[in-house]
Amino acid sequence: MRPKVIAMDFYANLKIWIRSKGTLFWSLAFPVILIFLFGAIFSGMDDVEYSLYVQDLDDSDMSEVFIEVLKETGVLSIESVKDDINITSYIKDENIKRLIVIPEGFGEDIKKASFDTSVTVTVSFYLDPGEQQSNQVVKSIIFSIIQNMNMNISQGRDIIKLKEVSTMTDDFNFIDFFLPGIIGMTIMQSCIYGSIERNTKYRKDGILRKLLTMPITRAEWIFAKMLFMLFLSFISSALIILVGVFVWDMTINITPFMILIIIASSFLFSGIGMIVGRFVKEEETADTAGGAIGFPMMFLAGTFWPVDQLDPVMQGIAKVLPLYYINEGLRNAMIYMNEAETIRNSVIVIVFALVFFIAGLVLTKWHED
Amino acid sequence: MVEKIVRCPECSKITTFYGNPGDCLSVTCPKCGIKGKVTFKKTVTTENVAIEVYNLKKVYGDLIAVNDISFSVNKGEVFAFLGPNGAGKTTTVEIIESIRKPTAGVIKILGKDIKTSFNQVKEKIGILPQEFHSFEKLTVRETLEYFSMFYKKRVNIDDILDVMDLRSYEKMLYKNLSGGLKQRVGVAISLVNDPDIVFLDEPSTGLDPKARREVWNVISSLRNKGKTVFLTTHYMEEAEYLADHIAVIHKGKIIAEGSLEYLLDKYGHGSLLRIKKCKDPNAVEMLKDKGFEAESEGNGNISIKIDYKDKVINVLSQLRYEGIDYDSIEIRRSNLEEVFLHLTGAKLSEENT
Repeated sequence: MRPKVIAMDFYANLKIWIRSKGTLFWSLAFPVILIFLFGAIFSGMDDVEYSLYVQDLDDSDMSEVFIEVLKETGVLSIESVKDDINITSYIKDENIKRLIVIPEGFGEDIKKASFDTSVTVTVSFYLDPGEQQSNQVVKSIIFSIIQNMNMNISQGRDIIKLKEVSTMTDDFNFIDFFLPGIIGMTIMQSCIYGSIERNTKYRKDGILRKLLTMPITRAEWIFAKMLFMLFLSFISSALIILVGVFVWDMTINITPFMILIIIASSFLFSGIGMIVGRFVKEEETADTAGGAIGFPMMFLAGTFWPVDQLDPVMQGIAKVLPLYYINEGLRNAMIYMNEAETIRNSVIVIVFALVFFIAGLVLTKWHED
Repeated sequence: MVEKIVRCPECSKITTFYGNPGDCLSVTCPKCGIKGKVTFKKTVTTENVAIEVYNLKKVYGDLIAVNDISFSVNKGEVFAFLGPNGAGKTTTVEIIESIRKPTAGVIKILGKDIKTSFNQVKEKIGILPQEFHSFEKLTVRETLEYFSMFYKKRVNIDDILDVMDLRSYEKMLYKNLSGGLKQRVGVAISLVNDPDIVFLDEPSTGLDPKARREVWNVISSLRNKGKTVFLTTHYMEEAEYLADHIAVIHKGKIIAEGSLEYLLDKYGHGSLLRIKKCKDPNAVEMLKDKGFEAESEGNGNISIKIDYKDKVINVLSQLRYEGIDYDSIEIRRSNLEEVFLHLTGAKLSEENT
């Protein structure tokens, strides 16, 4: 392995990449545009139903008044949830978008608060971060009702408080969910198409035949290309993260597992590209084949919306797709900071990467028949 | 002592035998035991040979693409592998370049068996593959720099740009070059390591006549630099213009081989002198009486076979002596098309379409 050869090849690839407007667009501008677009779309998304599930653990006159006021707004459709139901599993099983829990002692505590200023009551508001806009509407309605009640009871002191609980995890909204998916999608697109280009266009143009007759080993060539694909993956990811931080005010954690998943994903999708390039010889057909693999995976694997929102059959399909584990791994590593899930998804991604990259290496032929 | 690689006619086993030039040895096939004789030619001198191909065969299923061919290429010559599309030219050259694996046969480049020593040979050869297109987004200079970095021995890029007359295009992106310039860059790429042998696979295919002529000039310059050039082509004019030695391949077999003059002499019809619009109807008979191979072509035109250059003067002198008038004369030289027609019964130009 000659570092100088690898460095020169990398440098040549960099120049080709910078001069290719199409590649630049798809690898850098497109994911940024998506972040802007989807961020704006989901921020402005409307929900005509505004259904609101309510679990009343107090069952007092005061809680009934509170529920009645909610109903009287005419905007909310109130669905009651029995008080013995476990909220966490109920939300997941029934795919509930919004739910409030009126705590036990709600009425008593409000009465106490009239003469004890230290007493407060907290109503929990469970919401799905994927429903950001409609949640904002419902939240503002509930909040204004609570403010009104606080005003009537105590001239404005915050006796009743509203606590938001994400049904996904704490403190997250849609863009937190979306951004890691865009990173996974961009790596997938860059690596699959980059690999296809090397294995079909370069074959058609005689470049691979030329390389076979030159003093460069297959290992040097593949290493140089993978180095460049990694560079591309990190550049794209960095740009997406910067947009997330500076435009959408996100908190993103750069962790070793995030880097590991990006590296493994680059190898994984390059391997898939190699396999496609092995069986599809025509450049145009190979691009189509790459799209046929990439696009369904992009939509099914939880890039744009949580997989849990899909029907059970689609969920089953999603969970055999490598991009699903990349997306989940990146979310857990960068956003949710769920170590167990990060490790679990990272291991699955690494196994996928090993299988597909080795299969790609074995199946890729440099020599002609 | 010299070696000779022999294929057993009975079992096809390939065996190397050693002997002195001029020897005729009795040998036994180590596989099937059949006995035979092997003669070592006195003229065999491997130090002047760049490429040796012995009993090369390539089979794809039922199709025999290359059928047991043997030939050698001398150092410093332009060797043209001429044949119609699908004759087996590219398959052969790509096997020699180690891009494809042979079904059978032995190939040596600069004395080294490529099956075991191709990596040692890589530094000494330069290759322009068929239908080669380089990286579209690199300039001419960057392209040459890229391909040169793999070699230990490198030619100064400025020198190549000057030699190949590419200096004024060095900053142009490859994708913006004309077809002829792209091929010129392709040849330039094959020279970045100052190779001893240059393989050019159909270098002028698809080019207009002007661009083709540019490429021919480049190939001629390679010969002048002492490079060995292995050229595959289906253009007979290209082989006629460039080649020192021509091998004609048809349906996977070499059907004729030698210098242009040798092939024309052996398989061509010789040159023809055509007398146009001859005024005397008895001229053909008169010329035949004088020993010339004359034939009437109708409309007063007469053709006379010319097998030595003074014969033209002799014919014209005879016509003048007899007071026979005519409009004009035309001398048509024999060409490789005639050779190919003679050997295969088909025209090379028609087989290519």
